[in-house]
Amino acid sequence: MFDSIRGKTPGNQIADASQVIRRQKGDMAERVALHAEAPVKTNAKAPAAAMDKPVQPIESRRLGKDEPLTLRAATFLGDALDTLDRRRTETAPFARISMPDAGEKQTGPWALVPKRKRPKRNRHSRKKVAFLRYGYYDIVFKFFVEHVLDADFVALPEPTRKTIEMGSAASNDFVCAPFKHILGDYMEALELGADVLVQFTGPCRLGYYGELQESILRDAGYEFEMLNFATVTGKSLQDYISLCKKKVNPDLSLTQGVANMLAAFKMIESLDAYNDLFLRLAGHETEAGSFERARKTYFADMRAASCRHDIDEAQKRGIAALEQLPVSIPADPVRVGIVGEYFTAVDAASNLDLERKFLDMGVELYRMMNLTNRNLRYNEPNLRRSVSEYVNFDMGPTSTMTIAAAKNYAEQGFDGIVHLKSSGCTPEIDCMPVLQRISRDYRIPILFLSYDSQTSDTGLDTRIEAFYDMIAMRKAR
Amino acid sequence: MEEAFLGIDTGSVSTKGVIIDTRGAIMARSYLWTEGNPGDAARRVVEDLAGQIDRNAVSVVAVGTTGSARRLVGAMLDATVVKNEITAHAVGTTHLHPDVRTILEIGGQDSKIICVEDGVAVDYAMNTLCAAGTGSFLSSQAHRLGVEVEEFGEIALTSKKPANIAARCTVFAESDLVHKIQVGYPREDIIAGLCKAVATNYLNNVGKGKKIVAPVVFQGGVSKNVGVVKSFEDALGMEVLVDPDGHLMGAYGAALLAADAPDAVRKPFAFDVNDFEFRTREVVCQKCANHCEIICVYKDDELIDSWGNRCDKGAIRPKAKA
Repeated sequence: MFDSIRGKTPGNQIADASQVIRRQKGDMAERVALHAEAPVKTNAKAPAAAMDKPVQPIESRRLGKDEPLTLRAATFLGDALDTLDRRRTETAPFARISMPDAGEKQTGPWALVPKRKRPKRNRHSRKKVAFLRYGYYDIVFKFFVEHVLDADFVALPEPTRKTIEMGSAASNDFVCAPFKHILGDYMEALELGADVLVQFTGPCRLGYYGELQESILRDAGYEFEMLNFATVTGKSLQDYISLCKKKVNPDLSLTQGVANMLAAFKMIESLDAYNDLFLRLAGHETEAGSFERARKTYFADMRAASCRHDIDEAQKRGIAALEQLPVSIPADPVRVGIVGEYFTAVDAASNLDLERKFLDMGVELYRMMNLTNRNLRYNEPNLRRSVSEYVNFDMGPTSTMTIAAAKNYAEQGFDGIVHLKSSGCTPEIDCMPVLQRISRDYRIPILFLSYDSQTSDTGLDTRIEAFYDMIAMRKAR
Repeated sequence: MEEAFLGIDTGSVSTKGVIIDTRGAIMARSYLWTEGNPGDAARRVVEDLAGQIDRNAVSVVAVGTTGSARRLVGAMLDATVVKNEITAHAVGTTHLHPDVRTILEIGGQDSKIICVEDGVAVDYAMNTLCAAGTGSFLSSQAHRLGVEVEEFGEIALTSKKPANIAARCTVFAESDLVHKIQVGYPREDIIAGLCKAVATNYLNNVGKGKKIVAPVVFQGGVSKNVGVVKSFEDALGMEVLVDPDGHLMGAYGAALLAADAPDAVRKPFAFDVNDFEFRTREVVCQKCANHCEIICVYKDDELIDSWGNRCDKGAIRPKAKA
């Protein structure tokens, strides 16, 4: 193409490739004109001195008033296009423009652009989407990615000490532990080849975490898209959909997406219901490890579900299998309620598997805090009414639930309550005086535990063991 | 032969040991510095205790260990009971003082409060992430002031006007202290101020939200400091009881728990720790990506115990005895 231009404009020996690229459009418009009125010397008005120089400035080829009108019009058009294009991008090559072979019939400049071979919907490459780790909810995340977003899910392996080490190394020391865990998860996901990271909006500072984590990861040199639902919080469904379309999948099917989203909610409820039963019974197992095995099977079953029907079936099978396991429940079992912060109270990796430690001691566990109760069925004013003697207003993301759950457990005559939070979690710190009052009013011991990025559970074991001894001895009296 | 029970409390700073008879009376007591080597400290304590009793008339039928090195020492001594220090302290104190309602405890690295009702612990709290206002803070400051920490209490009592020292955080307390020294406060006022700061810090952190009801028993190494005791009495407005054996209460509780253990699990103790060499070795488990650090304890060349694995895959079990 350049040769052909050069051939027709021998006075302009264009050596610099970038200049060629910049000028293509002008030349092309020129050529359109050339087809109409050939032959024309484009450098007719150039000064004689300029002839010596191999590369000419653009001005030297401007056409004067004495040139034919058609040629001037074409050149003007070419320059205008050139300007418009340059405004869009200064250096990008014009990928879509190709020149016809000599003698081919042209009907206009638009004819230079060939027809798209692939329709738009097929030009999208499938995205690999990763979530953060959050208890057993990875099953729902997988379902959401595969059946709502219609993309590939990057399954993360079990978290290790390295996860939190990486996360802590890249975060501010004073930020709460969930931030560090999540950042470590993201790094592992990106190492596994994820294109898109998902952060949901949080009820507290968690809501800002997506943005901060995105910039930390970008500074660290990772390339990815961030599907951060915090950016559309409180907006319409349409905004959620367009965000998903923009970041993950432009061909997202609305009907399927909405139907499967409802199934995903059902899945959350199912998983939480199963977990409630598990926590209640697993401490009383007669065969060590039988409950853990059953849960593993159930999780695998649930993970394979691809529609609402599958979920319901898996749930039925899972609950039935769990209820059939042999248990020996003492007449008056030790019952402990777990309350606390959104992330630490729920995520076993964050609380050093506190639930397992209690279950191994034969304790019956109850935990109101989960996605079902906090997100799907959360009615804060209603819940607050049940603790109106302690709280007058909503104190924070999970505060009302923490207090209401604690009071509920105390009223039911539980033996103890464990309060979990990440170190420096302000809303939960605010809850602590209220919990201490509940502890005094109902004479129920409360163990307060605070977590940072520690991986050693020696101190935790001491406290849990002492707490258990205390409530068991108290019960024995 | 009279039956007896051994209790060892291996803390971060000191190691305590007692031998009690079946009625719970202390027959032998020992208190030594741990000096960063819990295994050796336990060995020295056992040796010390063995010298105090008539080995021909008394036989130790069960051992209980507690304190932060309870697991290691428990493995070495083949203990019947390995119990956390909170339970051990509660058990020991309620046995000696059945009417106690509040137990204050300040040790070398930790501090705790235990609330008791009808002789049974109903609530407790323990310091969390930091060791501000504990024994190790006092001894480092004693070193700075050029006094022995044992003399601290006596010096504090001579002060008429304790200096005001911020004790919320050890780092702040230290800079506050240095500042007060440099501007010329008398030494006894500074020491009294430190004692007061320890008490205030304790009540504001560990004791926060807990109802402190008399009778109050104060124990742990810091309870030997009369200055801190006085500060507690001033702050609480009630008498604070310090048992002469208060620093041994963890070991005493461990011995009581060992005595409570059923006969079937009792393991007689032959005072033969000196005949063996105990070694620990750290193994990094390669069975999964978590790479747990597993501690293996060897008695001579025989593996007797291991811990540190998160899951069953990393379990290293001693060979079953033939």
